[in-house]
Amino acid sequence: MSNGVALDIQGLSKQFKGKRGLRVEALCGLTMQVPQGEVFGFLGPNGAGKSTTIKCLMGLIAPTAGSATIIGETIGSVESRMKVGFLPENPAFYDYLSAEEYLQFVGRTFRMPDDLLARRVEESLRLLELSDARKRPIRSYSKGMVQRVGLAQTMIHDPELYILDEPMSGLDPIGRALVKDIILDLKKRGKTVFFSTHITDDVEKVCDRVGVIVKGRLMALDRVETIMRSGIEGYVVQTKAGIGNHTALASFGLIRSSEVFREYSVPAGRFNEFTALVSHHALEITLIETKRKDLEAFFLEIVENVAR
Amino acid sequence: MKDVLLITLKGIFRDRIFQGIMALAGLIVFIPSAASLSMRQVTELSITLSLSTISFIMLLLSVFLGATSMWKDIERRYTFSVVSLPISRTSYVFGKFFGIALFLVLTAFVLGCAAMISIKVSSMGYPPARPVEWGLIMAAIVFDAFKYILLVGVAMLLSAVSTSFFLPVFGTVSIFLVGTITQQVYDYLHTPASEKVVSAIVKNAALVLYYLLPNLQSFDLKVYAIYSIKPSLGGVLTTFCYGGIYTAVLLLASSLLFGRREMK
Ligand SMILES: Nc1ncnc2c1ncn2[C@@H]1O[C@H](COP(=O)(O)OP(=O)(O)OP(=O)(O)O)[C@@H](O)[C@H]1O
Ligand SMILES: [Mg+2]
Repeated sequence: MSNGVALDIQGLSKQFKGKRGLRVEALCGLTMQVPQGEVFGFLGPNGAGKSTTIKCLMGLIAPTAGSATIIGETIGSVESRMKVGFLPENPAFYDYLSAEEYLQFVGRTFRMPDDLLARRVEESLRLLELSDARKRPIRSYSKGMVQRVGLAQTMIHDPELYILDEPMSGLDPIGRALVKDIILDLKKRGKTVFFSTHITDDVEKVCDRVGVIVKGRLMALDRVETIMRSGIEGYVVQTKAGIGNHTALASFGLIRSSEVFREYSVPAGRFNEFTALVSHHALEITLIETKRKDLEAFFLEIVENVAR
Repeated sequence: MKDVLLITLKGIFRDRIFQGIMALAGLIVFIPSAASLSMRQVTELSITLSLSTISFIMLLLSVFLGATSMWKDIERRYTFSVVSLPISRTSYVFGKFFGIALFLVLTAFVLGCAAMISIKVSSMGYPPARPVEWGLIMAAIVFDAFKYILLVGVAMLLSAVSTSFFLPVFGTVSIFLVGTITQQVYDYLHTPASEKVVSAIVKNAALVLYYLLPNLQSFDLKVYAIYSIKPSLGGVLTTFCYGGIYTAVLLLASSLLFGRREMK
């Protein structure tokens, strides 16, 4: 049984054998779990091994060592794939078919009944704004439209787990926003989403947890919230000028001041002290901004550490 | 498997190669008038021409469809999206194969009907020496189709291991050519005359090839159809079983090899 674990990866490794016996260690002993209902971001620079991991999970390549299960089913089996909506990296689909025909084909491989399938095809085409192009062969689609077909075909059978390899790639800002909305909506419906990306902003916006993989090794795995909070370095606080006794705040760095406001830099550890002084000396706070190291900085730091 | 089969069929019908080859098939209509130019044995000639045209078209179809169908999927990266669906690699291979095989059967049927009309037209104008045996003509077409279905199996096996279309296309053509003469070589090796020219090693190598490669000549019933001679039932049945078993082995090997293949 799966015990509420959507994805259980144990020591997954993959070595590619190149020409002249050259070996590429694309993935080394990846161990991690994704509980059901979580949105997990798999973050890593180019060539980190994200696609390699995903291809192993989908049975496209065989891992050299280790194992994994998808909702309790061993990877590589038809049953495991039955439970997943999968979007390959830079996907390509039979281009002589129209989006509608392709989605019907996909739905039938998931053994969906005809009436349900027809309804879902309709819905997902509408959701991904492909309704106008539905009858045209995929050959005539733009790159972003093909990506949208790719997303539509993952949702057609309403799976429990979504495995998406760079779902936002090739999409315009509207498309990216749409995908984020879709992922958040899936989360609301209790679905599990595992997606790879190298864009930290995408992770920050939608993920519960993030794993950072560099050179085939998992370097960090934490809740996005925790990372964000631990990244807080301090605050920028504005107070109204001309009200209260500002000399009390002299021990805090003054960033700038005008006739309207004074702006202080407050270290994270002294925030309470600051607010206490504010209320004690009848000052008035007009704005607080968090100064933090964002996920991007966190990510870059890890990547640079590995490089060193 | 059914889903892959249907998608494969749809792909063939929408393919340009198919449309080009089918334009060739239009030639069958002109066979009676072409044959009548010879003035002698007009019906026999139009049977020969029709059956040869059908055979040639099916050869083209089986080589191109068989050898490019899977290669195209891999080359255009369709395999990532298809093989990751809940279908086994075996169903994928079988679906592809039966899609193409079914298409060959349909082609044989349509062209066969066209050919028989052509032959009928010829035989009305120039009655043949012996009455046309329609059953034999049909049998010739059926066995021809069977031969090319086997050839599709060869193409699938080569596609299952190859990364380019070079091996499947040229490999299939070579095996077809060798397969059609293997019986002659075998017979020659068993004549006393060959003892002096062929060394024992070459002879044994040739025999190994004879047993390994498909023997396609026995599928050729054209001569019987043209001259309205009944072939031996036992021989035909043997060929039928041979073809079935050989194709099944090819398919199993293809799906086994494709199943272990990495989709990188
Ligand atoms: N077929 C292959 N043969 C040899 N090496 C490979 C093969 N596929 C991938 N690799 C290597 O494995 C490593 C991981 O590649 P992978 O495609 O998993 O990276 P990725 O994290 O998906 O990167 P990207 O963000 O660029 O998609 C790379 O070093 C790559 O060169
Ligand atoms: Mg990748």
